Formats: sequence, structure tokens, C-alpha cells
Amino acid sequence: MSAMRPELPREFVASHKRRRMMDAIAELTAEGGYEATKIADIVRRAAVARKTLYDNFDGKEDLFLSAINATVAEIRDRVEAACAEADSAEGGIVAGLEAVLDYVAEHPAASRMCMVEAISATPSSARLYDAAVRDFVDLFRNSAPEGSDLPVTIEESLIGGVAWILQLQIRRGEAERASELLPELSQFVLSPYLGVGKVVDTGRRK
Amino acid sequence: MDRLPRGRHGLSPEFVARNQRERLIAGLTQALYEVGYQKTTVSLIGQMAAVSKSDFYKHFESKDDCFVAAYDDAIERIREQVVTACEATGEREWPYRVRNAIAALLDLFSREPGLASIALVEGLRAGRGVYDRYQSAVESFVAVLREGAPRPQEGTEVPEATDEAVVGGIASLLGRRILAGEAEQLSELFPEILEFTLAAYLGAEEARRIVSAG
Repeated sequence: MSAMRPELPREFVASHKRRRMMDAIAELTAEGGYEATKIADIVRRAAVARKTLYDNFDGKEDLFLSAINATVAEIRDRVEAACAEADSAEGGIVAGLEAVLDYVAEHPAASRMCMVEAISATPSSARLYDAAVRDFVDLFRNSAPEGSDLPVTIEESLIGGVAWILQLQIRRGEAERASELLPELSQFVLSPYLGVGKVVDTGRRK
Repeated sequence: MDRLPRGRHGLSPEFVARNQRERLIAGLTQALYEVGYQKTTVSLIGQMAAVSKSDFYKHFESKDDCFVAAYDDAIERIREQVVTACEATGEREWPYRVRNAIAALLDLFSREPGLASIALVEGLRAGRGVYDRYQSAVESFVAVLREGAPRPQEGTEVPEATDEAVVGGIASLLGRRILAGEAEQLSELFPEILEFTLAAYLGAEEARRIVSAG
């Protein structure tokens, strides 16, 4: 290796290492569960020193919770960006749903960590899962089409239903094909507003 | 569950054992509901069931072993309640079957919040082994809902995932309310849940008509 190797900025290296540790815990918990994932496995997978892990996080749970938070924030950002581009409430819901499904398809391990492992790993991670569901219920409520006299719990039931379908898909090991669920799930979430079996235009923009 | 009389009672050993086991399951369920999983110890379960610690270990290897038995028991009781309610509907149409099933489910949960909590909250939190049981319990309710569900009208289709999404959505809504400490008021959600369920198949207007007709 050349002695002239350019040095990368320190902050870049540090944030890259944090990212690698978060990716590693996502992969390892997706493979073997939270309980079975050891610090030694994480540092090996992330190719960082043990000390680096403890410089950045209080320990395994702190890293796990940070990784969940980062993933949920990223999904939220994508959903909000997708909704903002749409020109109707209906289009916004479909675009937001598409953003979630695409994220799951592209990041199966991180999705499994947030939507499956988080629920049973530790009490704090279960709380993060519940808070994330609440956030998405609010997001949905703010973007849903006007629906007269629908039950006040409708958004919670719909988001819960979508989450369940995704959990089944992830647990079957078919997260990579999550995007295929878009037509069915769009119809499911829009049916209270638009009617049953109405063809929902999910014309993918890619 | 009442404890048995002390001393000579002429009850068969099998009866005593079965009764103890049932009391331990009820004790664990109640302890989980009151103090959560971490604080539910074998001693506490024994105390709530009025069964000694050594008798506990005659029935179960560990707290988790008792938990799994209690979980299976809870799901079985819920299923029985729902199936009985469906059968009692007789020849009436599908929406009435659904109405009776949801009413029976919420009625049971409101009467026994501990049962609702183990089935819908603790089961999910308990990790991999029990999660499979949670999933197959949900699947069994999907089958109940699907039976006799209206076929889509011509030119439209009810998406394939609907039954699963509806049952998963109801389970999630109920679980969130239990977590919020509202297990005893679940019955109040009856009209909302019925409307949500019927709307997925019949449309919002028809669902509202049936719900308000009672």
C-alpha cells in the first residue's frame, strides 16, 4: 500500500464506523436474535476495535436502540419525502406505503431488527417499536383522505394491519419481495376511504 | 380460582393435580398482568395460586415453561369463545357471525384483562418461541373470518391479504390499548372494530349501516 494514501477526515471515519456497527447488529440480530448476539460478534462483523464500540455506545443495548432509532428515522424521512411529492391525499398514501415497502426490500436485516426483533428483545426496544407505530399512525392520520364518520381508531387498525403483513413477509424470509405487496396493501389501507375493490393506481414511478 | 379445602377431602390425586395446574396458570397470568414479566417469579406465581414452590416444579420446569402453557391455554380459551359465538349465529349471514365473534372476543377480554394481556402483549414480547404461537393464533382467527366472507362483486376484488391484515390490525389495536392500561374498557371498541372489519369487505357505508342497525 502506498505511503501516500490520503487520509480521510476523522469525522468521516468515525461516522462510518458507527454506521458499520449499527449495520452489524442489524444483521446479527436478524440472523440469530438479540439474545444470541455478542459484543465479540459485533466488533468482528463491523471490523472495529472493541474499544471503538464502547467509545461510541454504552454497550450492546445502547447500540441496538441507536440502530433502531436510526432506521426508523430513515424510513420516516423517506415516507415524508414521498408523501410530499404526491399531488393528492390518495397518491400520498400510496407513495408513502411504497417508500416503506421499498425500504424493507432493500434493507431486510434493518427492517427485521425494527419490526420483529425490537418487539421482544428488551423492554426499551419494545417501547421504541410502540413509539414508532404511534408515529406512523399520526403520519397516516395527517395524510389520509377525508373520510366522513370513520371510526376514530381506523388509522391504528390500518397501520397495525400493514405492520402485521410486513412482519409475516419478513419472518417468511421474503423481505426482498416486499415491494410486490404494494397493490394489495394500497387497496387495504384506502378501502375505508375510497370503497372496496376500487382499482388503486400504484403506477410505480421507477 | 379457589383453593381446595385442606386435609381429607376425598378428591382424587388427578383432580388435585389438575386443579393445581390450572391455578398456577391463572396465577402466572394474573402476576404478568399486575407486575410484568421481569417481576413475575416462581414464588409470586405460587403465592397467587396458593401452591407451594415445590408443587410448582411438579407441574412446570420453569417460569417460561409455565408461561408457554398459560399462553396455549389462553389462546385455546379465546378460540373456544369465538367458535361458540360463531356457531350460535346459526344460519344467519356472515356479518352477524362476525358481529357475534367480535362481541364474544371483547366480552371475554374485558372480563379477564390478564388473559387479554398475555395473549396480545406478553406473547409478542416473549420472543421467538412464543411469537410462533402468536402467529398461529392469529392465523386461526383469519380462518374464522374468511369462512363465509362475501365474494367480491364483479369487476372488483378484495385483496388477498385482507383477512390477515384485518385480524393483524385488530390484534395490534387491542394490544396497544392494553399497553395503555385500558384492558378493562376493550368492550367499548366494539362498534369501531366491527365497522373496521366489515368495511374491508363491504365498504364503509354498508358497514356503518350494519353497525348502527345493531
